[in-house]
Amino acid sequence: MGRRNLFVWFVIMLAMLAGGIISGCAKKAEPPPSDQLRTLSFTIDCENYNKAVAEAVAQQLRELGVDVQVRVWGDWAVLKEALLNKEREMLVNDWGNSTLDPYDLLNPKFETGGRGNYAHYSNPRVDDLLKRGATGTDEAERERIYKEVQEILYDDAPWVFGYAMQEIEASRKTVQNWVPATDSRINLHRVSLTEGDTLVVGIRATIESLDPANHRNRIAETVIRNMFDGLVTRTPDGKVVPEIAESWEAISPTLWEFKIRKGITFHNGEPLTADDVKFTFDRIITEGGLGNGKSSPRKAGLLDPVTEVEKVDDYTVRFHLSAPWPIILQMLVHQQIVPKDYVERVGSEEFAKKPIGAGPFKFVEGKLDERVVMERYDGYYGGSPDIPGAGPARIKRAIFEVIPETSTRVAALQSGQAHIIQSVPPELVPELDKDPNCEVKTVEGTRVYFLEMNVTRPPFDDVRVRQAMNYAIDWDLIIEKVLGGYATRLNGPLLPHGFARHTGLSPYPFDPDRARQLLREAGYRTE
Amino acid sequence: MRGLRVLERILSTIPIVFGVAVIVFCVMRFTPGDPIDVMMGREGHVSQEQIDALRREFGLDKPIHVQLYMFLSRAVRGDLGNSLTKHRPVSALIRERLPATVELALGALVFSLVLAIPIGVISAVRQYSFVDRASMAAAFFGISMPAFWLGIISIIVFSVRLGILPSYGRLPYGLEPARVTGLYVLDSVLTGNVSSLVAALRHLLLPSVTLGAPMAAIVARVMRSSMLEVLRQDYVMLARAKGLTEWAVITRHALVNALIPTVTVVGVQTGVLLGGNMIVETIFSWPGIGRLAVDAIFNRDYPLVQGVVMVYALTFVLANLAVDILYTYINPKINL
Repeated sequence: MGRRNLFVWFVIMLAMLAGGIISGCAKKAEPPPSDQLRTLSFTIDCENYNKAVAEAVAQQLRELGVDVQVRVWGDWAVLKEALLNKEREMLVNDWGNSTLDPYDLLNPKFETGGRGNYAHYSNPRVDDLLKRGATGTDEAERERIYKEVQEILYDDAPWVFGYAMQEIEASRKTVQNWVPATDSRINLHRVSLTEGDTLVVGIRATIESLDPANHRNRIAETVIRNMFDGLVTRTPDGKVVPEIAESWEAISPTLWEFKIRKGITFHNGEPLTADDVKFTFDRIITEGGLGNGKSSPRKAGLLDPVTEVEKVDDYTVRFHLSAPWPIILQMLVHQQIVPKDYVERVGSEEFAKKPIGAGPFKFVEGKLDERVVMERYDGYYGGSPDIPGAGPARIKRAIFEVIPETSTRVAALQSGQAHIIQSVPPELVPELDKDPNCEVKTVEGTRVYFLEMNVTRPPFDDVRVRQAMNYAIDWDLIIEKVLGGYATRLNGPLLPHGFARHTGLSPYPFDPDRARQLLREAGYRTE
Repeated sequence: MRGLRVLERILSTIPIVFGVAVIVFCVMRFTPGDPIDVMMGREGHVSQEQIDALRREFGLDKPIHVQLYMFLSRAVRGDLGNSLTKHRPVSALIRERLPATVELALGALVFSLVLAIPIGVISAVRQYSFVDRASMAAAFFGISMPAFWLGIISIIVFSVRLGILPSYGRLPYGLEPARVTGLYVLDSVLTGNVSSLVAALRHLLLPSVTLGAPMAAIVARVMRSSMLEVLRQDYVMLARAKGLTEWAVITRHALVNALIPTVTVVGVQTGVLLGGNMIVETIFSWPGIGRLAVDAIFNRDYPLVQGVVMVYALTFVLANLAVDILYTYINPKINL
C-alpha cells in the first residue's frame, strides 16, 4: 500500500512538474501582460568625437519608449577601465582594420577575453572558428570560417552593426597627384605642387616618435613612412605590393622568403642589405631590443608569430613563424626598415632624434608636438614599381605641422598655410566645398563603427533586446543627417571592402514594429 | 626692515609649493586610467608581462607612498623625473616650451593693459557718457566670451576671410631667429632680424587678443570703479581748486592711487593667463606648456603633469608675491 501510494504521488508530482514546464514555455512565447512590462532604461557611453551619433541613436530609441541617457566621457582611459570592469551597458565605439582581414577585427573583438571585447561576448563555437581562421592557410577555408562567424554574430547581435566611415581629407587645388590612402596614411612621395616646392601637411595630433620601432600610433606612422620604406607597401586602395622587397615566396606556411631589391641606399649613403632587414625585425621581436632594457611596442598584435628572421645571403631573408600566419604581408606594410650600422652606432634614443631611413624624404629637423621638416632624398631608389610614378619625390621639402584643433586645421588649409589636412569632420565639408581653392577628398576608410552591448548584464544579456536595438535604429537617416553621407552601412562586423565579408547577409532593416515586438517579448514597455 | 619682511614672504611660499606638489601627486594617482594602458594605444595589443615590465621600468609597481617619497626627494634637487611618453626629462621639456607660454602671456598682458587702462580711465571721467556705456558693454562681452569661441571666430575672420593673419603656430619654418631668450619677438629684436620680428608679431596677435580679452575686460571695469572712487576724494577736489589742468589732476593725482586695486587684479590674472593657455594654445597650435599639459593629462604622463602643474603653482605664488611687494612701493602706507 505504502509503495503504491508513493508511486501515485510520484506520478502526480511528475505531471505537475511537466505541466509547469509546458505552461512556462508557453508563457515565454507570449509577451507578459502589459501591467507587468517594465520600462527599458540604460545609458549609452560615448566620447566627444562620436557624441552626435550617440545623441541621434538615443533620440530614435526614445521614440520607442526606451529611457536612454547619453554619457559623454572626456577621457578614454577612464571609460576603458569602466568597460573592462563590465560596469557599462552600451558603448558607441569603432575599431581600425587596416589589414582588411578579419584577423585583427573579429579576433580581438569577439574572442572570449579578446583585448577589445568590450561586449564581453563569449561563444565557444566562435572562439574555435576564430582560432582556426587566424592560423589557417587555405584562403577558401578561411573565408568559409569567417562567413560562419558572421552568421553567428548576426543572430547573436552583440553589436548594433553600424557603418564604415569614409576618410575625409582635403587639399589645396595646387596639390597634384595626391589621393588619400585607405589606411589613412598621407604619403607625399608622388605628390607635386603647381606653386612652390614646400608642401605643408596639417596633422591632428602629436607625433609619438620618429623611430619606426618605438610607437603605436597612426600619425607617427604617417610621418615615418615618408622617411622610411618597408619590405612591402599598400596601394591607395589597399592592395599589398613590393617596396624594398622585390619578390617573396611562401616556402611553407611557416617559412616565408623575401628577395631584397639591390641598389637601395639609406639617407647617409650606406647600402640597404639583408643585415638591415634582420636587424630591423630583431629589434622589434627581441625582448629589450631597443636597448637599455626597453622592448619595442610593435610586436604584440603586429608581429607575434615571427620567431626568427634569418639572413640567407646579402639580399635574401627568411621569416620563421611559430604558426601559419596568412596575413603576414598585410602586417609587414606597417614595419619600416632601419639602418643597422647607424642605429648601433648612435643608439635608439639618438636615432629617434635624427632618424635615417631609405624613404623618399630625409629628416631635417623636428619637434614632435610642433612640426617635422624633411627634404627630398635625391638618391632614392624610386619606391614600389607597382604604383605609378616611381622615382625621386617631386617636391623639395615636406613639413608636417601638428594642428590638433579641427577648425584651426581647416582654417590653415583655407588660408593657404597648409596644403593637405587630415581628418576633416563631415560638418565642415560644405564650408570647404564652397572654397574655390580647396578640394575635399574621400576614400573608404578602414574603421568600422558600431554600438557595443555588454552581454553580461541586463538589459543586453537578452538576445531579443540586442536584436531589437538592431531593428530600432535608422542608420540610413543618421548617415545622411549626421555623417553628411560619408559612410556605408554594415551588414555585420566587417568592412564592406574587406576580405571574407559575407555578401549573403543584408543589413538589419529599420523596422520599429519588429523592434517593439521583440522588446515586448522580453518584457519591456514600448510606448 | 622691508628686506626682512620680503624674505619672510618668500619663505612662506615654500609650504604652499610643497602642498601643491603632494596634492597634484595624489590626485593624478587616484584618477582612473593607467599610463601604460594609454601608452599601448587604444587598441592595446599587449600582454600582461609587457605591462608589468613597463610598470617596473617607470617605478609604477611600488606602493604610492614610496613613489611620493621618490618624487619629492628628487624634486627638491630640481629633478622632476622623465616623461613617460616623451622619454625625456620633464624639466628639459618645460624649459623648452616655457618661452612660448611666457611670450604669449606677455603679449596678452600688454594687449589687455594698453587697452583696458585708458578705457577704464575715460569711462570714469566721462561717466554715463556714450563712451562709458559702450566700453562697459564691450567689457561685459569680453568677460562672457569663451576663449575657444573668440579664438575660432577670429581665425575665421582674420585668416580665412580677410587672409591677413596666420591661423596657427609661432613662426613659419625657416624664420626662427637665433636663440637668445626663446621669446621670438625679443630674440628677433636682439638679433636685428626684421622679417622674423614681423612674422612673430603677426603670429602673436590673434592668440594674445584671445587670451587677453577677458583680462582686458576685468581690468577696465576695476580701473573704472576705482577711478570713480578716487575722483570723489577731497584731494582731487583740492587739486582742481588749485587750478591744475584736468589732465594733470587725472594722471598725476588720481591715476596712481586708482592703480592699486588694478595691480592686485593683474597679479591674480597673470596666473589665470597661464591657466587659460591650455585652451588658447590648443586652438592656435601654440607649442607652449599648456599644450604639453593637455597631452600629458590625456596620456596619464604623471611626471609631466606634476611638473607642469608645479610651474603653474609657482607662477601663481610668485605673481601674488610680486603684487604684495609692488604695493609697498605704490603706496608706502601698506606694510607687508
